[in-house]
Amino acid sequence: MLDATEGYTTEDGRKIGGVVMEMKNITLRFGGVTAIEDISFDVHEGEIRAIIGPNGAGKSSMLNVISGFYNPQEGEVWYKGAKRPPMKPYQVARQGIARTFQNIALFEGMTVLDNVMTGRIRQMKAGLLSQALWKGKAEREEVENRAFVEKIIDFLEIQHIRKTPVGRLPYGLKKRVELARALAAEPSILLLDEPMAGMNVEEKEDMSRFVLDVNDEFGTTIVLIEHDMGVVMDLSDRVVVMDYGKKIGDGTPDEVRGNQAVIDAYLGVAHD
Amino acid sequence: MAQSSSAADGLSSIPALLQRNVERMGARPAYREKEFGIWQSWSWAETAAEIEALALGLLNLGVDEGDFIAIAGRNRPYFYWAMVATQCVGAIPVPVYQDSAAEEMAYVLDHCGARFAIVEDQEQVDKIIEVQDQLHQLEHMIYIDPRGLRKYDHHKLHQYSHVQEQGRAAREEFAEDLAARRAKLDYNSTCVMLYTSGTTGKPKGVVLSNRNIIEASKSSAEFDHLTKNEEVLAYLPMAWVGDFIFSIGQAYWCGFCVNCPESADTMQTDLREIGPTYYFAPPRVFETQLTNVMIRMEDAGRFKKWLFDHFMAHARKVGPAILDGKNVGLGARLKYALGNLLVYGPLKDTLGLARVRVGYTAGEAIGPEIFDFYRSLGINLKQLYGQTEASVFITLQPDGEVHSDTVGVAAPGVELRIADTGEVFYRSAGVFEEYYKNAESTASTKDAEGWVATGDAGFIDEATGHLRIIDRAKDVGQMADGQMFAPKYVENKLKFYPNILEAVVFGNGRKQCAAFINIDLSAVGNWAERNNIGYASYQELAGHPKVLETIKSHVEEVNRSLAEDPMLAHCQVHRFLVLHKELDADDGEMTRTRKVRRGVISEKFEDLLGALYDGSDEIYTTTEVTYEDGRKGSISATLKIIDAEVVPVDAPQQEAAE
Amino acid sequence: MPEQFIWGIEVFLNGLMAGVLYALVALGFVLIYKASGIFNYAQGVMALFAALTLVGIMEGQVPFSHLINATFGTEIHHFGWHVPAFAAILLTMVVMIALAWVVNTLIFKHLVNQEPIILFMATIGLAYFLEGFGDMMWGSDIKTLNVGLPQGINPVIDEVTYNIFDYGFFIDNLDIVATVIAAALVFTLIVFAQYTKQGRAMRAVADDHQAALSVGISLNFIWVMVWSLAGFVALVAGIMWGTKSGVQFSLSLIALKALPVLMLGGFTSIPGAIVGGLLIGVGEKLFEFAIGAPYLGGATEIWFAYVLALIFLVFRPQGLFGEKIIERV
Repeated sequence: MLDATEGYTTEDGRKIGGVVMEMKNITLRFGGVTAIEDISFDVHEGEIRAIIGPNGAGKSSMLNVISGFYNPQEGEVWYKGAKRPPMKPYQVARQGIARTFQNIALFEGMTVLDNVMTGRIRQMKAGLLSQALWKGKAEREEVENRAFVEKIIDFLEIQHIRKTPVGRLPYGLKKRVELARALAAEPSILLLDEPMAGMNVEEKEDMSRFVLDVNDEFGTTIVLIEHDMGVVMDLSDRVVVMDYGKKIGDGTPDEVRGNQAVIDAYLGVAHD
Repeated sequence: MAQSSSAADGLSSIPALLQRNVERMGARPAYREKEFGIWQSWSWAETAAEIEALALGLLNLGVDEGDFIAIAGRNRPYFYWAMVATQCVGAIPVPVYQDSAAEEMAYVLDHCGARFAIVEDQEQVDKIIEVQDQLHQLEHMIYIDPRGLRKYDHHKLHQYSHVQEQGRAAREEFAEDLAARRAKLDYNSTCVMLYTSGTTGKPKGVVLSNRNIIEASKSSAEFDHLTKNEEVLAYLPMAWVGDFIFSIGQAYWCGFCVNCPESADTMQTDLREIGPTYYFAPPRVFETQLTNVMIRMEDAGRFKKWLFDHFMAHARKVGPAILDGKNVGLGARLKYALGNLLVYGPLKDTLGLARVRVGYTAGEAIGPEIFDFYRSLGINLKQLYGQTEASVFITLQPDGEVHSDTVGVAAPGVELRIADTGEVFYRSAGVFEEYYKNAESTASTKDAEGWVATGDAGFIDEATGHLRIIDRAKDVGQMADGQMFAPKYVENKLKFYPNILEAVVFGNGRKQCAAFINIDLSAVGNWAERNNIGYASYQELAGHPKVLETIKSHVEEVNRSLAEDPMLAHCQVHRFLVLHKELDADDGEMTRTRKVRRGVISEKFEDLLGALYDGSDEIYTTTEVTYEDGRKGSISATLKIIDAEVVPVDAPQQEAAE
Repeated sequence: MPEQFIWGIEVFLNGLMAGVLYALVALGFVLIYKASGIFNYAQGVMALFAALTLVGIMEGQVPFSHLINATFGTEIHHFGWHVPAFAAILLTMVVMIALAWVVNTLIFKHLVNQEPIILFMATIGLAYFLEGFGDMMWGSDIKTLNVGLPQGINPVIDEVTYNIFDYGFFIDNLDIVATVIAAALVFTLIVFAQYTKQGRAMRAVADDHQAALSVGISLNFIWVMVWSLAGFVALVAGIMWGTKSGVQFSLSLIALKALPVLMLGGFTSIPGAIVGGLLIGVGEKLFEFAIGAPYLGGATEIWFAYVLALIFLVFRPQGLFGEKIIERV
């Protein structure tokens, strides 16, 4: 069935592992509208996988299927070699799939540190009583989690806003905090929903660097959706192209760039 | 002055001081750095071990005696260790401004012929790689943060911690050599080479010996009774002589702890957490802090604001006198104590200055209101006057003798002389050895008897006996009628207004003075916000009629105050304009230390300068600008030229016209 | 010292104690409101229900005895045992947690993302149902509740104040105990919310549902937890109030006193609920003492709190501690 042993080597010499997730013939409908129609693709461990397409192509729906916000009517999601039953988003998160949102979903009233700490909820196992007594396991856990979170904060260079309530931050920094929270979960797969949306050139460059560094430093598998072709092509190892809810291309950035259907979708028929 | 090659107590190098500190107080903290949200600390003993490991590693990489090692990064213990490790192996540390452009860095590295560079991260590595074909002597680079560098070719690139590990592993092989090299260091060996940015021409490498650094540190530490219990926050550029003296010279001499902030952006928080007892900041920092306080008070509730205003008024009245230990009535003292409880204390705490015992500012003139504000809070803020060539200290203000318009008395061991031209000269044990590979400049700055020209014009204030600096000697010129023209003096007066960020005054060889002005975007922007004035850019705000009106009133106030000083009354500003762009080091208009480059500016804005003197009302101009990422662009604008009222000066002063 | 002033102090202290109880009830509202956006009209009835259950368990009452007797023609009322107060409190808590689970699973889980007004209506329904259900389960007669809390005048305060002012203050021991317990409860809640994993998750859910889901927080779990917490607070309030004035229907009306408290303190602020409660407690007592009784013919305690709340609504709609309501432009 699922052959998880095959890896490959990228152009710049990075070793990519076997298949960690596979989407098989996914179809998602809202009432009479078909948002995703019979799409299949796989994600290998350690790669940066992009899903691109014009607005309304169904990219976000696909991300929501992966993260459990939508359950598809047809098709199967395979994760780490097992078929995944229909799940709630929080269950998917607990399986190690973290995500960010295009419109940013942060806890605005909490500080940056608290926001990022919530990303560690999956790693906190101490019971309420031992937490109340602040003893043994609970104390050790809190210290370890805080130390991990501080590494992320350092990594994303947000030390100066550690104690700032998120609501007061500018857009670009919020995006970074959201990424930090997702990273804090030590995800097996990191889903990024248009990470560069609404950013200026400089912020985009920063974010691209962070995405590459995350992949490089932690070996995190990243699935990102983006409609800015330029950014995606530089970042990703392999690209799925969607249009009108269908898959019209899949391959390395170079392969995809030469694909006639893709060129048509982007240049020929604009529909937004 | 007979100069022996070693100090009286045998402590004739920084490594020797390190050794002494390990013996005397090995367990006391020497360095702290906030990382991952926690203050990590290293004792003197641990510091010595780190430095030794690095020194051995440097030997392992083949560092020779007399080599130059460039060091570029923000204030971190690792870089301070790198400097001392460099000294230990008989090489010379050359700290470089880490934010300098690749070309500037290339010049310095090439000029000293650095074989090694110790840098922070990928950014610095990339910068040096970009210019490496100009640097034939550079062999190895050592970096601290490995992030993003994994894929680089590591033949000549080494991670700091690996160099240390290899050093530890090779201890047997190199320990003897290291000990021998360390033993050779004496008072005459070079301690550090620092490049001065200079307002004109290429940077010069100032060679400072162990004698210079240790003598200057020793006498200044005694002057202010610094002890091993001081806490300092190292946040000013490591390439600047002040940081070298405070964070290495005095720190090793006294044995106090140097604290490094988490990042440049967290400096204010870190300051508050450390609560330094000995603190230096350029006037700009004090200014910004004060502006922030004032902005916050504008937004505060009515009661809070009333409390603040009420007690600040009292503090201004009696605070400085209490600080100077003068006679103040009991009632006023009690009220001051109450104010301390309610306002001054919490405020000082917020500013991170609650524990400051000795605070200094220097580099530029500080506005009297700003200076008095901090002193009235009970912070012992003083001024000093110094130079790289003097190992910082030329004059210092003693406790209890502090004035906002003077820079104090000669520092211990410093002789002062004012030349006929008005230029200030000094001589001391801290006087630099030479400018590296620049005998000509050395000779023109330091004479055979050891007197050094400061390049500043000044005089000894009769009332106080303190030195008062007027201006750069070369900037002091003559107006068309032969009277003294002191642009910096006028500029500083203008810059004391929070709304004015920079000012450039012209008038040399002319009949009257005129000025370019830069508004302060944060101060004026804040004012605009409060008054519902919309603006999209600096340029738009700078051209707003109301802003121009405000600036005009500032200029006229300055004119009135100048008119009271007979020496300078003729320097009143007759006409001015507000520039359409901020003066910027990236465009070459300022130095990296933010001093205006008069020559560059008057050439670049020749058309504007012409308009100031030809009587026109406005002028259209286009200027090339460099963006942060190095791209070029241009902006154009029509600028209004404004006539300011001047106070008529009765008769030209006879002496001045001489 | 003038007598009026000394009496004023006594009134003030008594107001403070009454305020503590208001604050306790308001706290229950704030917890649920913050975490789920539901304004729980049933909070007061929950306190009544908790108190009824507690009394019932302590006295070994058979639940639904009327129903059972009517259906089967039996005459059972009591099991014939008495449960110690502490065990009864624990058992009552179990009942409140079960109630929380039922309420969330049957009602509010299905109303996610509905308009606030619909959620509010649902809580009104819940309030009336719970009231009737409580009657049915435990009977509608007035009961006395005694869990062993000290009551009556505090002799130490009486004596000390007598020595100082020549006039002994009447401060009820129960009020002192209530204050201490309420303070401890608030402290515990704040520590819980700030420093535990569940507390952090609760704040996260209160802030943003979608984001909470994405970090692996189960909304249902948090909601049940919050309703349980509110049930716990209701139980504490029920014990205090019930001990003071008996377990009866009027207990559910204290919920209405909590309304002005919330308007004063802000609907989303725990410290706001406390300060608001104290202000109203002290305010209404002092007003009655200084103005109401001598000039307005008394009984101002009934409406003072609401008028104060109205004034606040006009000048500071977000309350003392609530988040500023600013429309971003």
